[in-house]
Amino acid sequence: MFILTNYLNPSTNKYSEQELVTMLQQRNGQSFSYLYDNYAGALFGIIKGIIPDEEVVRDVLQEVFVNIWKKIELYDATKGRLFTWMMNVARNAAIDKLRSRSYQDSLKNRAIPENVDISMPGAVVTQQGDDVGLKKVLTRLKEEHRVLIDLSYFQGYTHEEIAKALNIPLGTVKTRIRSALMQLRNMIQ
Amino acid sequence: MNIQEYISSGIVESYVLGLASPEERVEFESLCVQYPELVAARTEFELALEKQLLRDAAVAPRDLKQTVMNLVNDQSSINQTKIITMTSSNANRGSSSLRWVAAASVILFLGFGFLAYKYYSEAEDLRRENDARVVDQQVKDSTFNQLALENKLMKELMDNPNVAAVNMVPTTPGKPSASIYWDSTSSNVYMVVKNMPKLPSDKQYQLWALIDNKPKDLGLFDVGDKKVILKMNNTQKADAFAITIENRGNTGGPNLQQLQNMGKAKL
Repeated sequence: MFILTNYLNPSTNKYSEQELVTMLQQRNGQSFSYLYDNYAGALFGIIKGIIPDEEVVRDVLQEVFVNIWKKIELYDATKGRLFTWMMNVARNAAIDKLRSRSYQDSLKNRAIPENVDISMPGAVVTQQGDDVGLKKVLTRLKEEHRVLIDLSYFQGYTHEEIAKALNIPLGTVKTRIRSALMQLRNMIQ
Repeated sequence: MNIQEYISSGIVESYVLGLASPEERVEFESLCVQYPELVAARTEFELALEKQLLRDAAVAPRDLKQTVMNLVNDQSSINQTKIITMTSSNANRGSSSLRWVAAASVILFLGFGFLAYKYYSEAEDLRRENDARVVDQQVKDSTFNQLALENKLMKELMDNPNVAAVNMVPTTPGKPSASIYWDSTSSNVYMVVKNMPKLPSDKQYQLWALIDNKPKDLGLFDVGDKKVILKMNNTQKADAFAITIENRGNTGGPNLQQLQNMGKAKL
């Protein structure tokens, strides 16, 4: 059994990636507390960029952390870093939630704000100045690139769906997205 | 393959951010095995991204941490409670078919492809270039498909909320264990085995599901050096899972003296 109170205060220990993974796989509570303290904010930011409803964002973040704890054996270190894996788990969970029947139904009962493009289901209102993390970095991209990253990364549309919706060739979608990603690399280097 | 060109194409960023297609993922992962410079490029981007996202991260709700830690604590105590006792009578036997879904099967596939190729080239007096290429491609395709399937499976197990993870607890503390991934909607059972000790050749491990205190055979298995994920027999119900050591090819019930791991499924 874990002693809960110890884990509410941020740990002063620093763990290497390898140590952290090993401890998590041994179901060490302290390492999980460390994980939350250091990474919950970044994952919160990613989910927030995908789902506008704060209550739902909280639910998804909670589910994601419990899921990471339960299924840590599925993390494969040869395929990338722990944070990358967690980022993708968080993004997938958020997009699944966004596209879920229950969430979509709840949207229908709300008034749609003016600056939302209702032709794309699950369209997210972008609020300037509210952006964190990746979204903030992406605001520096050219508009035509930013839109594509927004549609593919934050809204989970496939290249085919984007090409169809924006009426541009599939090849152009892919090329532009790749180009945007290369710019992103330069911006965060 | 011009690896530098590949590295500069945006594929690295695409892969890390989860935007690559399944085919692109398999290609990327296969190339990572061959090209350390690709792995270096991937790590470099991952670190830069991580640094950026942690730098001005949003602050996660404080009260959420307590909720999460409580939920995680509950998970651990479920496994430590010894509620279920196994009875070895009326062991329910299903078929012992075992399908390997991981490195082992990739090697098997490659082996098969190679044997087919060898046989083919020996049967012919004159080997035509075209035909050799076709067989090569078939080998490549089957490996590719296998890797794609593996990726698909891992993603499914992780993202599907109907897939419950049951972490087995060793009966001897400190000994290695296994994890069960059980899809309650499809009844599929997968097991991740890591570091479980190899057994003498006359012994095998066996996985059981416990339903109303009665054990149901989910399959015999061996372990290797690598971490693998195995597909076991289906079960619609399970109160708990258990692993025992049995004689090779056991057809009877579980040997309770040799219970190695146990995990209670969430109700």
